[in-house]
Amino acid sequence: MTSVSATRDAAWKRWVIGLALPLLLLAVWQIVGTTLQGPRMPVPTKVVAAAGIMIASGDLPMAILQSLGRVFAGFMVAAIIAIPLGLAMGQSRAVERNVDPLVETFRPVAAIAILPLAILWLGTGTAAAVMIVAYAAFFPLIVNTVAGAKNVNPTLLHAAATMGISRLTTIRTVVVPAALPSIFVGLRIALAVGWTAIVAAELAVGAKAGGGGSGGIGQMMFIFYAYSIELNRIIVCMIAVGLIALVLDRMLRALMRASMPWEHA
Amino acid sequence: MTLATKLQIANVTKRFSVGGAQDTIAVDDLTLDIRAGEFLVIVGPSGCGKTTVLNMLAGLDSPSSGTVAIDGRAITAPGPDRGVMFQDYALYPWQTVWGNVEFGLRYGPAGDGLDAAAREQRVRRTIDLVGLKGSERKYPNQLSGGMRQRTALARLMANEPDVLLMDEPLAALDAQTRIILQDELLRIWGQDRPQSERRTVVFITHAIDEAVFLADRVAVMTSHPGRLKALIDIPLARPRGDATRALPEFQALTQHIWSLIRDEAYRATVT
Repeated sequence: MTSVSATRDAAWKRWVIGLALPLLLLAVWQIVGTTLQGPRMPVPTKVVAAAGIMIASGDLPMAILQSLGRVFAGFMVAAIIAIPLGLAMGQSRAVERNVDPLVETFRPVAAIAILPLAILWLGTGTAAAVMIVAYAAFFPLIVNTVAGAKNVNPTLLHAAATMGISRLTTIRTVVVPAALPSIFVGLRIALAVGWTAIVAAELAVGAKAGGGGSGGIGQMMFIFYAYSIELNRIIVCMIAVGLIALVLDRMLRALMRASMPWEHA
Repeated sequence: MTLATKLQIANVTKRFSVGGAQDTIAVDDLTLDIRAGEFLVIVGPSGCGKTTVLNMLAGLDSPSSGTVAIDGRAITAPGPDRGVMFQDYALYPWQTVWGNVEFGLRYGPAGDGLDAAAREQRVRRTIDLVGLKGSERKYPNQLSGGMRQRTALARLMANEPDVLLMDEPLAALDAQTRIILQDELLRIWGQDRPQSERRTVVFITHAIDEAVFLADRVAVMTSHPGRLKALIDIPLARPRGDATRALPEFQALTQHIWSLIRDEAYRATVT
């Protein structure tokens, strides 16, 4: 019993210690914000109030849903291209030699840097946003898939070969499950950078379109910045972006756990 | 009764180049015929090229010169006629015991012509045969070393290959488990059936008593470079069991083989 309550005590202490710094910073922010008062000075209590209004009106949930839809679409496009291509690169030297220089040339070009292309080709709506997310998500996904497909224990491949299993079936039944942990690392990074890219793209498209109808949480931030300097609301958007990234990552981790039961059996 | 040659190793030399400098000769001019239905054990100190020989028979490696053949046809690639049991078992961690045993039947040519029911029956029978009943749903990381070994053996047996190639399959086990599994291995192989109905086995070990207990013939190899030093008939009656291990002939054969590799084993330990 003592040991159980001792560990419970320890868990409590960890929580308190973990929350101490954020709470302290919040308190400092609150004090500084109220003393300096002004339109450009957000204050925690006002941020909370603004969040309440934005959620109640449905504006914030709507913007988030719009952005999330784009992220998922772009993320899926990236996964459908990057995972099979990465597996092929990891298992075939010829494919890797051909594709790798292309990937490595474009990888340093930031997603936001292809925005001009995306807008000129696809306009300022959802299609351009999806393209930017897909572009951003593609690189971490392919790099990690290649690494996973390359690092398959060769004996596992030999075992499949000695059972006469065809190469394509071996990729499906041996390479994919063996590479799954790496692929999931890629998916998690891809989802994070995709989410980052969508906010940036919506902000920028909002700027170009003068606050036109492209929507999403990034554009919402742009409107609060350019038309009605509402810093508290911008802070609400920032926090929402962070929290949603956290939730998305946790969901992906849960999916990873569910799809690899052997890892924690 | 003379039995047909199943596997043929003719003047095989295998060199590995290490960093472009002097080549290492793993196997030097090895000639060995393995008969159909025979249990042949290759024994020798580490570095004698045993695993290289097995890999060449499996088609996972090719000789630098000379030929390896099965039923008179040159071996150029792995094939389902030659099943391999790897030293580290090579079980698929994401498959359960059942999934591992079923793997070759489900995804490979070994399962051609079997419908789902027949496949399930084969897997069921093989799992029971190796004594894994009740563990079908476990993953390899939930199994003891002995159970992993049984799973790998079941996977090999379920595919019903003509030839079983086994690379130190019992090396990682403790002494008791090892003796039990030696007995089981002979039972599963079918040592109480006539030799014409048995499968051909090439088994690698560094344990001399294990070699004598299992083998019809023992090929003794020496290292640096790997050469065949002696080919010894083991005329002990089958079926073999605990009584076999107590026979004076068993002791004498073990002593004899030990005397053949003793000097080299000592040298390897000292240097």
